[in-house]
Amino acid sequence: MRTLHRTTKFALQNIWRNIWLSLATVLVFVLTLTTINILITLHVLTDAAIQSIEDQIDISVYFKKGTSEDILFGAQDYLASLSQVSGVEYVSGEEALRRFSERHRYDERILQALEVVGQNPFGGELIISARNTDDFAFILEALKNPTFGSAIESQDFSDHERVIQRIDAFTQRVQFFALILAGIFALIAVLIVLNSIRVSIYTHREEIGIMKLVGASNNFVRLPFIIEGILFSFVATAMTIAIVYPTATAMEPQLAQFFEQQNIGLSSYYLQNAYWIFGGQFLALAILSIIASSLALNRYLRV
Amino acid sequence: MIKLHNVSKSYDSNVHALHGVNLHIEPGEFVSIVGQSGTGKTTLLRLLIAEERPSKGKIVIGGWDISTIKSAQVPFLRRQIGVVYQDFKLLPKKTAAENIAFALEVAGDARRRVREVVPQVMRIVGLEGKERRYPHQMSGGEQQRVAIARALVHRPKVLVADEPTGNLDTITAHEIIDLLRKINNFGTTVVLVTHDKTIVNHLKGRVITLKDGTVVRDHVGNYTLA
Repeated sequence: MRTLHRTTKFALQNIWRNIWLSLATVLVFVLTLTTINILITLHVLTDAAIQSIEDQIDISVYFKKGTSEDILFGAQDYLASLSQVSGVEYVSGEEALRRFSERHRYDERILQALEVVGQNPFGGELIISARNTDDFAFILEALKNPTFGSAIESQDFSDHERVIQRIDAFTQRVQFFALILAGIFALIAVLIVLNSIRVSIYTHREEIGIMKLVGASNNFVRLPFIIEGILFSFVATAMTIAIVYPTATAMEPQLAQFFEQQNIGLSSYYLQNAYWIFGGQFLALAILSIIASSLALNRYLRV
Repeated sequence: MIKLHNVSKSYDSNVHALHGVNLHIEPGEFVSIVGQSGTGKTTLLRLLIAEERPSKGKIVIGGWDISTIKSAQVPFLRRQIGVVYQDFKLLPKKTAAENIAFALEVAGDARRRVREVVPQVMRIVGLEGKERRYPHQMSGGEQQRVAIARALVHRPKVLVADEPTGNLDTITAHEIIDLLRKINNFGTTVVLVTHDKTIVNHLKGRVITLKDGTVVRDHVGNYTLA
Protein backbone atom coordinates (compact mmCIF):
# COMPACT_ATOMS: atom_id res chain seq x y z
CA MET A 1 0.00 0.00 0.00
CA ARG A 2 2.85 2.33 0.92
CA THR A 3 4.64 1.44 -2.33
CA LEU A 4 1.48 2.14 -4.35
CA HIS A 5 1.00 5.48 -2.60
CA ARG A 6 4.63 6.47 -3.21
CA THR A 7 4.76 5.31 -6.80
CA THR A 8 1.49 7.17 -7.52
CA LYS A 9 3.05 10.31 -5.99
CA PHE A 10 6.17 9.81 -8.16
CA ALA A 11 4.00 9.27 -11.24
CA LEU A 12 2.11 12.52 -10.62
CA GLN A 13 5.42 14.34 -9.96
CA ASN A 14 6.87 12.92 -13.17
CA ILE A 15 3.86 14.04 -15.19
CA TRP A 16 3.99 17.56 -13.77
CA ARG A 17 7.77 17.97 -13.91
CA ASN A 18 7.96 16.61 -17.46
CA ILE A 19 4.83 18.44 -18.51
CA TRP A 20 5.78 18.91 -22.18
CA LEU A 21 6.66 15.27 -22.66
CA SER A 22 3.45 14.32 -20.84
CA LEU A 23 1.39 16.62 -23.09
CA ALA A 24 3.08 15.25 -26.21
CA THR A 25 2.31 11.67 -25.16
CA VAL A 26 -1.33 12.50 -24.35
CA LEU A 27 -1.67 14.34 -27.67
CA VAL A 28 -0.43 11.28 -29.58
CA PHE A 29 -2.95 9.16 -27.66
CA VAL A 30 -5.77 11.63 -28.43
CA LEU A 31 -4.91 11.68 -32.15
CA THR A 32 -4.85 7.89 -32.22
CA LEU A 33 -8.22 7.60 -30.48
CA THR A 34 -9.73 10.34 -32.66
CA THR A 35 -8.65 8.44 -35.78
CA ILE A 36 -10.33 5.30 -34.45
CA ASN A 37 -13.49 7.29 -33.68
CA ILE A 38 -13.50 8.73 -37.20
CA LEU A 39 -13.56 5.13 -38.41
CA ILE A 40 -16.47 4.36 -36.07
CA THR A 41 -18.30 7.48 -37.37
CA LEU A 42 -17.75 6.33 -40.95
CA HIS A 43 -19.20 2.94 -40.01
CA VAL A 44 -22.33 4.61 -38.57
CA LEU A 45 -22.65 6.86 -41.62
CA THR A 46 -22.30 3.93 -44.03
CA ASP A 47 -25.07 2.14 -42.15
CA ALA A 48 -27.18 5.31 -42.29
CA ALA A 49 -26.58 5.65 -46.04
CA ILE A 50 -27.56 2.03 -46.67
CA GLN A 51 -30.59 2.43 -44.40
CA SER A 52 -31.54 5.58 -46.29
CA ILE A 53 -31.54 3.66 -49.58
CA GLU A 54 -33.36 0.69 -48.07
CA ASP A 55 -36.03 2.99 -46.62
CA GLN A 56 -36.82 4.14 -50.12
CA ILE A 57 -37.52 0.60 -51.25
CA ASP A 58 -41.07 -0.69 -50.78
CA ILE A 59 -43.59 -3.03 -52.34
CA SER A 60 -46.48 -1.44 -54.18
CA VAL A 61 -49.51 -3.73 -54.30
CA TYR A 62 -52.18 -2.66 -56.80
CA PHE A 63 -55.70 -3.95 -56.24
CA LYS A 64 -58.24 -4.67 -58.93
CA LYS A 65 -60.71 -1.94 -59.68
CA GLY A 66 -63.85 -2.33 -57.68
CA THR A 67 -62.14 -4.03 -54.74
CA SER A 68 -64.18 -3.26 -51.64
CA GLU A 69 -62.72 -1.10 -48.88
CA ASP A 70 -63.28 -3.95 -46.42
CA ILE A 71 -60.81 -6.10 -48.35
CA LEU A 72 -58.38 -3.19 -48.78
CA PHE A 73 -58.37 -2.13 -45.14
CA GLY A 74 -58.42 -5.76 -44.04
CA ALA A 75 -55.27 -6.36 -46.07
CA GLN A 76 -53.74 -3.17 -44.65
CA ASP A 77 -54.45 -4.25 -41.05
CA TYR A 78 -53.16 -7.75 -41.67
CA LEU A 79 -49.93 -6.57 -43.26
CA ALA A 80 -49.37 -3.88 -40.58
CA SER A 81 -49.64 -6.59 -37.91
CA LEU A 82 -46.67 -8.49 -39.37
CA SER A 83 -43.46 -7.97 -37.42
CA GLN A 84 -41.49 -7.81 -40.67
CA VAL A 85 -43.51 -4.81 -41.87
CA SER A 86 -42.51 -1.35 -40.73
CA GLY A 87 -45.37 0.52 -42.41
CA VAL A 88 -48.36 0.17 -44.78
CA GLU A 89 -49.69 3.20 -46.62
CA TYR A 90 -53.10 3.15 -48.33
CA VAL A 91 -53.35 5.01 -51.61
CA SER A 92 -56.72 5.53 -53.33
CA GLY A 93 -57.36 4.47 -56.97
CA GLU A 94 -56.97 8.05 -58.26
CA GLU A 95 -53.82 8.68 -56.28
CA ALA A 96 -52.47 5.27 -57.33
CA LEU A 97 -53.03 6.13 -61.01
CA ARG A 98 -51.30 9.52 -60.55
CA ARG A 99 -48.29 7.95 -58.83
CA PHE A 100 -48.13 5.08 -61.34
CA SER A 101 -48.16 7.53 -64.24
CA GLU A 102 -45.53 9.64 -62.54
CA ARG A 103 -43.28 6.67 -61.82
CA HIS A 104 -43.50 5.39 -65.41
CA ARG A 105 -43.52 8.77 -67.11
CA TYR A 106 -40.61 7.79 -69.36
CA ASP A 107 -42.00 4.39 -70.24
CA GLU A 108 -43.94 5.06 -73.47
CA ARG A 109 -45.22 1.49 -73.69
CA ILE A 110 -46.91 1.65 -70.24
CA LEU A 111 -48.33 5.14 -70.85
CA GLN A 112 -49.78 4.00 -74.19
CA ALA A 113 -51.30 0.95 -72.51
CA LEU A 114 -52.98 3.23 -69.95
CA GLU A 115 -54.41 5.35 -72.82
CA VAL A 116 -55.73 2.24 -74.54
CA VAL A 117 -57.51 1.20 -71.36
CA GLY A 118 -59.11 4.66 -71.28
CA GLN A 119 -60.10 4.53 -67.62
CA ASN A 120 -58.42 4.19 -64.24
CA PRO A 121 -57.49 0.54 -63.93
CA PHE A 122 -56.41 0.89 -60.29
CA GLY A 123 -58.66 -0.01 -57.52
CA GLY A 124 -56.38 1.17 -54.77
CA GLU A 125 -52.80 0.57 -53.70
CA LEU A 126 -50.96 -0.49 -50.56
CA ILE A 127 -47.36 0.63 -50.19
CA ILE A 128 -45.57 -1.75 -47.85
CA SER A 129 -42.23 -0.96 -46.21
CA ALA A 130 -40.19 -3.75 -44.66
CA ARG A 131 -38.05 -3.49 -41.53
CA ASN A 132 -35.27 -5.28 -43.34
CA THR A 133 -34.55 -6.00 -46.98
CA ASP A 134 -34.38 -9.71 -46.10
CA ASP A 135 -38.05 -9.53 -45.05
CA PHE A 136 -39.40 -8.75 -48.52
CA ALA A 137 -39.50 -12.45 -49.46
CA PHE A 138 -41.70 -13.16 -46.42
CA ILE A 139 -43.98 -10.20 -47.20
CA LEU A 140 -44.38 -11.33 -50.81
CA GLU A 141 -45.44 -14.73 -49.53
CA ALA A 142 -47.88 -13.05 -47.08
CA LEU A 143 -49.54 -11.28 -50.02
CA LYS A 144 -50.81 -14.66 -51.20
CA ASN A 145 -53.26 -14.63 -48.27
CA PRO A 146 -56.58 -16.00 -49.67
CA THR A 147 -58.69 -13.22 -48.07
CA PHE A 148 -57.25 -10.57 -50.38
CA GLY A 149 -54.71 -12.37 -52.61
CA SER A 150 -57.21 -12.78 -55.46
CA ALA A 151 -58.04 -9.04 -55.40
CA ILE A 152 -54.41 -8.07 -56.17
CA GLU A 153 -53.93 -6.82 -59.73
CA SER A 154 -50.15 -6.58 -59.61
CA GLN A 155 -47.09 -6.09 -57.41
CA ASP A 156 -44.37 -3.60 -58.19
CA PHE A 157 -41.38 -5.23 -56.58
CA SER A 158 -39.36 -6.96 -59.26
CA ASP A 159 -37.57 -3.69 -60.14
CA HIS A 160 -36.40 -3.34 -56.58
CA GLU A 161 -35.30 -6.91 -56.11
CA ARG A 162 -32.15 -6.41 -58.14
CA VAL A 163 -31.40 -3.17 -56.29
CA ILE A 164 -31.73 -4.89 -52.95
CA GLN A 165 -29.42 -7.68 -54.03
CA ARG A 166 -26.89 -5.08 -55.14
CA ILE A 167 -27.23 -3.15 -51.87
CA ASP A 168 -26.72 -6.36 -49.90
CA ALA A 169 -23.62 -7.17 -51.91
CA PHE A 170 -22.42 -3.57 -51.54
CA THR A 171 -23.03 -3.63 -47.77
CA GLN A 172 -21.05 -6.83 -47.43
CA ARG A 173 -18.19 -5.33 -49.43
CA VAL A 174 -18.26 -2.12 -47.37
CA GLN A 175 -18.24 -4.10 -44.12
CA PHE A 176 -15.35 -6.25 -45.34
CA PHE A 177 -13.40 -3.16 -46.41
CA ALA A 178 -14.20 -1.44 -43.09
CA LEU A 179 -12.91 -4.51 -41.25
CA ILE A 180 -9.61 -4.41 -43.15
CA LEU A 181 -9.38 -0.65 -42.61
CA ALA A 182 -10.09 -1.07 -38.88
CA GLY A 183 -7.37 -3.71 -38.70
CA ILE A 184 -4.84 -1.42 -40.41
CA PHE A 185 -5.86 1.53 -38.19
CA ALA A 186 -5.61 -0.62 -35.08
CA LEU A 187 -2.14 -1.78 -36.09
CA ILE A 188 -1.02 1.81 -36.76
CA ALA A 189 -2.54 2.91 -33.43
CA VAL A 190 -0.71 0.13 -31.59
CA LEU A 191 2.60 1.08 -33.23
CA ILE A 192 2.10 4.79 -32.44
CA VAL A 193 1.27 4.11 -28.78
CA LEU A 194 4.17 1.64 -28.42
CA ASN A 195 6.56 4.14 -29.93
CA SER A 196 5.43 7.13 -27.88
CA ILE A 197 5.80 5.08 -24.68
CA ARG A 198 9.24 3.91 -25.82
CA VAL A 199 10.31 7.50 -26.47
CA SER A 200 8.96 8.59 -23.08
CA ILE A 201 10.89 5.83 -21.30
CA TYR A 202 14.02 6.41 -23.39
CA THR A 203 14.15 10.00 -22.10
CA HIS A 204 14.04 8.63 -18.55
CA ARG A 205 16.68 5.93 -19.09
CA GLU A 206 19.35 7.61 -16.95
CA GLU A 207 16.91 8.18 -14.11
CA ILE A 208 15.88 4.53 -14.26
CA GLY A 209 19.55 3.53 -13.91
CA ILE A 210 20.00 5.88 -10.94
CA MET A 211 16.87 4.53 -9.23
CA LYS A 212 18.25 1.02 -9.58
CA LEU A 213 21.67 2.04 -8.23
CA VAL A 214 20.17 3.52 -5.06
CA GLY A 215 18.35 0.27 -4.35
CA ALA A 216 14.99 0.53 -6.09
CA SER A 217 13.43 -2.80 -7.00
CA ASN A 218 12.28 -3.36 -10.58
CA ASN A 219 8.64 -3.02 -9.54
CA PHE A 220 9.32 0.25 -7.74
CA VAL A 221 10.82 1.65 -10.96
CA ARG A 222 8.10 0.14 -13.17
CA LEU A 223 5.02 1.19 -11.20
CA PRO A 224 5.22 4.99 -11.73
CA PHE A 225 5.52 4.45 -15.50
CA ILE A 226 2.56 2.06 -15.46
CA ILE A 227 0.50 4.52 -13.41
CA GLU A 228 1.54 7.32 -15.79
CA GLY A 229 0.40 5.20 -18.75
CA ILE A 230 -2.99 4.58 -17.12
CA LEU A 231 -3.41 8.28 -16.29
CA PHE A 232 -2.37 9.31 -19.81
CA SER A 233 -4.90 6.83 -21.23
CA PHE A 234 -7.64 8.20 -18.98
CA VAL A 235 -6.92 11.85 -19.81
CA ALA A 236 -6.59 11.04 -23.53
CA THR A 237 -9.94 9.18 -23.52
CA ALA A 238 -11.63 12.06 -21.68
CA MET A 239 -10.18 14.56 -24.19
CA THR A 240 -11.28 12.36 -27.11
CA ILE A 241 -14.84 12.24 -25.72
CA ALA A 242 -14.74 16.05 -25.38
CA ILE A 243 -13.76 16.28 -29.06
CA VAL A 244 -15.76 13.47 -30.66
CA TYR A 245 -19.18 13.75 -28.99
CA PRO A 246 -19.76 17.50 -29.47
CA THR A 247 -18.42 17.24 -33.04
CA ALA A 248 -20.80 14.36 -33.81
CA THR A 249 -23.72 16.30 -32.31
CA ALA A 250 -22.84 19.46 -34.24
CA MET A 251 -22.43 17.61 -37.54
CA GLU A 252 -25.60 15.56 -37.22
CA PRO A 253 -28.14 18.02 -38.74
CA GLN A 254 -25.98 18.55 -41.85
CA LEU A 255 -25.38 14.80 -42.20
CA ALA A 256 -29.10 14.06 -41.77
CA GLN A 257 -29.84 16.58 -44.53
CA PHE A 258 -27.19 15.01 -46.74
CA PHE A 259 -28.58 11.50 -46.29
CA GLU A 260 -32.18 12.76 -46.53
CA GLN A 261 -33.04 11.33 -43.15
CA GLN A 262 -34.68 12.92 -40.14
CA ASN A 263 -32.05 11.56 -37.79
CA ILE A 264 -28.74 9.87 -38.57
CA GLY A 265 -28.44 8.67 -34.99
CA LEU A 266 -24.71 9.45 -34.74
CA SER A 267 -24.72 11.18 -31.36
CA SER A 268 -27.25 8.72 -29.95
CA TYR A 269 -25.05 5.86 -31.23
CA TYR A 270 -22.12 7.29 -29.27
CA LEU A 271 -24.34 7.91 -26.24
CA GLN A 272 -25.88 4.44 -26.23
CA ASN A 273 -22.55 2.69 -26.80
CA ALA A 274 -20.39 5.08 -24.74
CA TYR A 275 -19.32 2.41 -22.25
CA TRP A 276 -18.26 0.04 -25.00
CA ILE A 277 -16.68 2.59 -27.31
CA PHE A 278 -14.86 4.86 -24.88
CA GLY A 279 -14.51 2.34 -22.06
CA GLY A 280 -13.04 -0.11 -24.56
CA GLN A 281 -10.71 2.51 -25.98
CA PHE A 282 -9.51 3.47 -22.48
CA LEU A 283 -8.96 -0.17 -21.53
CA ALA A 284 -7.15 -0.99 -24.78
CA LEU A 285 -4.96 2.10 -24.46
CA ALA A 286 -4.18 1.43 -20.78
CA ILE A 287 -3.34 -2.25 -21.40
CA LEU A 288 -1.20 -1.28 -24.38
CA SER A 289 0.61 1.34 -22.28
CA ILE A 290 1.27 -1.17 -19.51
CA ILE A 291 2.65 -3.74 -21.95
CA ALA A 292 4.70 -1.11 -23.82
CA SER A 293 6.10 0.34 -20.56
CA SER A 294 7.04 -3.07 -19.24
CA LEU A 295 8.74 -4.09 -22.49
CA ALA A 296 10.57 -0.77 -22.95
CA LEU A 297 11.68 -0.67 -19.31
CA ASN A 298 13.20 -4.15 -19.29
CA ARG A 299 16.20 -2.93 -21.27
CA TYR A 300 17.03 -0.19 -18.74
CA LEU A 301 16.34 -2.27 -15.63
CA ARG A 302 19.40 -4.42 -16.22
CA VAL A 303 21.57 -2.21 -13.95
CA MET B 1 34.20 -7.21 5.99
CA ILE B 2 34.97 -7.05 2.23
CA LYS B 3 36.72 -10.11 0.81
CA LEU B 4 37.67 -10.72 -2.80
CA HIS B 5 39.06 -14.16 -3.45
CA ASN B 6 40.73 -14.75 -6.81
CA VAL B 7 38.22 -12.50 -8.61
CA SER B 8 38.41 -12.21 -12.40
CA LYS B 9 36.16 -10.39 -14.82
CA SER B 10 36.27 -10.90 -18.57
CA TYR B 11 33.93 -9.30 -21.10
CA ASP B 12 34.78 -11.78 -23.81
CA SER B 13 37.65 -14.12 -24.45
CA ASN B 14 40.01 -11.21 -25.26
CA VAL B 15 39.06 -8.47 -22.75
CA HIS B 16 40.15 -9.18 -19.16
CA ALA B 17 39.21 -6.27 -16.91
CA LEU B 18 40.28 -7.98 -13.67
CA HIS B 19 42.49 -11.00 -13.19
CA GLY B 20 42.90 -12.99 -9.97
CA VAL B 21 42.26 -10.12 -7.55
CA ASN B 22 42.57 -10.95 -3.83
CA LEU B 23 41.58 -8.28 -1.31
CA HIS B 24 40.64 -8.09 2.32
CA ILE B 25 39.27 -4.84 3.70
CA GLU B 26 38.59 -4.66 7.45
CA PRO B 27 35.55 -2.90 8.97
CA GLY B 28 36.18 0.82 9.55
CA GLU B 29 39.10 1.05 7.12
CA PHE B 30 39.59 3.91 4.65
CA VAL B 31 41.05 2.35 1.51
CA SER B 32 42.06 4.11 -1.69
CA ILE B 33 42.05 2.06 -4.87
CA VAL B 34 44.28 3.73 -7.42
CA GLY B 35 45.58 3.11 -10.88
CA GLN B 36 45.61 4.60 -14.32
CA SER B 37 42.56 4.64 -16.57
CA GLY B 38 41.56 1.18 -17.80
CA THR B 39 43.22 -0.71 -14.95
CA GLY B 40 39.95 -2.15 -13.68
CA LYS B 41 39.09 0.27 -10.82
CA THR B 42 35.54 0.94 -12.02
CA THR B 43 35.01 -2.75 -12.81
CA LEU B 44 35.96 -3.55 -9.22
CA LEU B 45 33.43 -1.03 -7.96
CA ARG B 46 30.73 -2.41 -10.27
CA LEU B 47 31.38 -5.87 -8.88
CA LEU B 48 31.02 -4.58 -5.30
CA ILE B 49 27.53 -3.18 -5.99
CA ALA B 50 26.51 -6.17 -8.15
CA GLU B 51 26.18 -4.06 -11.27
CA GLU B 52 28.19 -6.91 -12.76
CA ARG B 53 29.00 -10.44 -11.69
CA PRO B 54 32.55 -11.84 -11.54
CA SER B 55 33.53 -14.33 -14.24
CA LYS B 56 35.51 -16.22 -11.62
CA GLY B 57 36.17 -15.99 -7.88
CA LYS B 58 34.18 -15.00 -4.85
CA ILE B 59 33.14 -11.63 -3.37
CA VAL B 60 31.90 -11.54 0.21
CA ILE B 61 30.55 -8.38 1.85
CA GLY B 62 29.65 -8.54 5.53
CA GLY B 63 29.42 -12.32 5.32
CA TRP B 64 27.15 -12.19 2.23
CA ASP B 65 28.52 -13.94 -0.85
CA ILE B 66 27.43 -11.66 -3.68
CA SER B 67 29.30 -13.50 -6.46
CA THR B 68 26.15 -15.29 -7.52
CA ILE B 69 23.59 -12.85 -6.12
CA LYS B 70 20.11 -13.08 -7.68
CA SER B 71 18.65 -10.02 -9.43
CA ALA B 72 15.82 -9.75 -6.91
CA GLN B 73 18.35 -9.47 -4.05
CA VAL B 74 20.44 -6.73 -5.67
CA PRO B 75 18.26 -3.85 -4.36
CA PHE B 76 18.75 -5.14 -0.79
CA LEU B 77 22.53 -5.19 -1.26
CA ARG B 78 22.52 -1.65 -2.66
CA ARG B 79 20.54 -0.39 0.31
CA GLN B 80 23.39 -1.66 2.53
CA ILE B 81 26.25 -0.16 0.53
CA GLY B 82 26.40 3.59 0.02
CA VAL B 83 27.73 4.56 -3.40
CA VAL B 84 28.96 7.96 -4.57
CA TYR B 85 29.75 8.59 -8.25
CA GLN B 86 31.90 11.07 -10.12
CA ASP B 87 28.85 12.33 -12.06
CA PHE B 88 26.74 12.43 -8.85
CA LYS B 89 23.89 10.44 -10.44
CA LEU B 90 21.14 12.60 -8.95
CA LEU B 91 17.59 12.46 -10.26
CA PRO B 92 17.32 15.75 -12.19
CA LYS B 93 13.59 16.24 -11.66
CA LYS B 94 13.78 15.79 -7.89
CA THR B 95 14.93 18.33 -5.31
CA ALA B 96 17.96 17.71 -3.06
CA ALA B 97 15.71 16.52 -0.23
CA GLU B 98 13.65 14.33 -2.58
CA ASN B 99 16.81 12.74 -4.00
CA ILE B 100 17.94 11.82 -0.51
CA ALA B 101 14.46 10.72 0.57
CA PHE B 102 14.19 8.53 -2.54
CA ALA B 103 16.81 6.10 -1.20
CA LEU B 104 14.67 5.62 1.92
CA GLU B 105 11.38 5.49 0.04
CA VAL B 106 12.53 2.69 -2.28
CA ALA B 107 13.37 0.66 0.81
CA GLY B 108 9.82 1.16 2.11
CA ASP B 109 10.80 3.32 5.13
CA ALA B 110 7.91 5.06 6.88
CA ARG B 111 7.19 8.69 6.05
CA ARG B 112 8.00 9.72 9.63
CA ARG B 113 11.45 8.17 9.41
CA VAL B 114 12.04 9.85 6.04
CA ARG B 115 11.13 13.21 7.61
CA GLU B 116 13.55 12.57 10.48
CA VAL B 117 16.53 11.20 8.60
CA VAL B 118 16.66 13.53 5.58
CA PRO B 119 17.26 16.77 7.55
CA GLN B 120 19.80 14.91 9.73
CA VAL B 121 21.97 13.77 6.81
CA MET B 122 21.60 17.13 5.08
CA ARG B 123 23.00 18.72 8.24
CA ILE B 124 25.89 16.21 8.33
CA VAL B 125 26.90 17.07 4.76
CA GLY B 126 26.37 20.81 5.31
CA LEU B 127 23.36 21.38 3.08
CA GLU B 128 20.84 22.91 5.49
CA GLY B 129 18.52 25.35 3.73
CA LYS B 130 19.08 23.79 0.29
CA GLU B 131 16.45 21.07 0.57
CA ARG B 132 14.24 22.45 -2.21
CA ARG B 133 16.94 23.06 -4.76
CA TYR B 134 17.06 20.97 -7.92
CA PRO B 135 20.44 19.50 -8.98
CA HIS B 136 20.81 22.06 -11.79
CA GLN B 137 20.44 24.85 -9.21
CA MET B 138 23.44 23.57 -7.20
CA SER B 139 27.22 23.63 -7.62
CA GLY B 140 29.19 20.46 -8.30
CA GLY B 141 30.36 20.30 -4.68
CA GLU B 142 26.80 20.68 -3.40
CA GLN B 143 25.55 18.01 -5.79
CA GLN B 144 28.24 15.65 -4.54
CA ARG B 145 27.20 16.38 -0.95
CA VAL B 146 23.62 15.46 -1.87
CA ALA B 147 24.94 12.21 -3.37
CA ILE B 148 26.92 11.49 -0.18
CA ALA B 149 23.88 12.30 1.97
CA ARG B 150 21.82 9.91 -0.14
CA ALA B 151 24.49 7.22 0.31
CA LEU B 152 24.39 7.73 4.09
CA VAL B 153 20.64 7.54 4.74
CA HIS B 154 20.70 3.80 5.33
CA ARG B 155 23.67 4.15 7.73
CA PRO B 156 25.66 1.77 5.54
CA LYS B 157 28.59 -0.23 6.87
CA VAL B 158 30.40 0.39 3.57
CA LEU B 159 30.60 3.56 1.47
CA VAL B 160 32.09 3.20 -2.01
CA ALA B 161 33.12 6.39 -3.80
CA ASP B 162 34.00 6.24 -7.50
CA GLU B 163 36.17 9.26 -8.41
CA PRO B 164 34.00 11.51 -6.21
CA THR B 165 36.27 14.50 -6.77
CA GLY B 166 36.73 14.02 -10.51
CA ASN B 167 34.37 16.85 -11.47
CA LEU B 168 35.32 19.22 -8.66
CA ASP B 169 37.88 22.00 -8.13
CA THR B 170 40.75 21.37 -5.68
CA ILE B 171 39.22 23.14 -2.67
CA THR B 172 35.82 21.50 -3.09
CA ALA B 173 37.54 18.15 -3.72
CA HIS B 174 39.34 18.41 -0.37
CA GLU B 175 36.08 19.36 1.36
CA ILE B 176 34.47 16.21 -0.04
CA ILE B 177 37.41 14.05 1.05
CA ASP B 178 37.24 15.58 4.54
CA LEU B 179 33.55 14.72 4.59
CA LEU B 180 34.38 11.11 3.64
CA ARG B 181 36.96 11.00 6.45
CA LYS B 182 34.37 12.32 8.88
CA ILE B 183 32.01 9.53 7.79
CA ASN B 184 34.85 7.02 8.18
CA ASN B 185 35.46 8.32 11.69
CA PHE B 186 31.88 7.34 12.56
CA GLY B 187 32.89 3.74 11.76
CA THR B 188 31.86 3.38 8.12
CA THR B 189 34.29 1.52 5.84
CA VAL B 190 35.16 3.81 2.94
CA VAL B 191 36.47 2.50 -0.37
CA LEU B 192 37.68 5.41 -2.50
CA VAL B 193 38.37 4.74 -6.17
CA THR B 194 40.51 7.52 -7.59
CA HIS B 195 43.46 8.38 -9.76
CA ASP B 196 44.06 11.72 -8.00
CA LYS B 197 47.57 11.54 -6.51
CA THR B 198 47.12 14.67 -4.35
CA ILE B 199 44.02 13.29 -2.67
CA VAL B 200 45.65 9.92 -1.94
CA ASN B 201 48.79 11.52 -0.55
CA HIS B 202 46.65 13.83 1.58
CA LEU B 203 44.85 10.84 3.11
CA LYS B 204 48.04 8.94 4.04
CA GLY B 205 45.99 5.72 4.36
CA ARG B 206 45.93 2.27 2.81
CA VAL B 207 46.46 2.37 -0.95
CA ILE B 208 45.71 -0.55 -3.26
CA THR B 209 47.24 -0.11 -6.70
CA LEU B 210 45.75 -1.83 -9.73
CA LYS B 211 47.53 -2.36 -13.02
CA ASP B 212 46.21 -4.29 -16.00
CA GLY B 213 43.44 -5.77 -13.84
CA THR B 214 45.64 -7.10 -11.05
CA VAL B 215 46.65 -5.79 -7.62
CA VAL B 216 50.30 -4.79 -7.95
CA ARG B 217 50.71 -3.01 -4.62
CA ASP B 218 48.86 -2.87 -1.30
CA HIS B 219 50.51 -0.54 1.23
CA VAL B 220 50.01 2.37 3.63
CA GLY B 221 51.42 5.66 2.41
CA ASN B 222 51.61 7.71 -0.74
CA TYR B 223 50.35 7.09 -4.28
CA THR B 224 53.11 5.47 -6.27
CA LEU B 225 52.65 3.85 -9.64
CA ALA B 226 54.09 0.37 -9.71
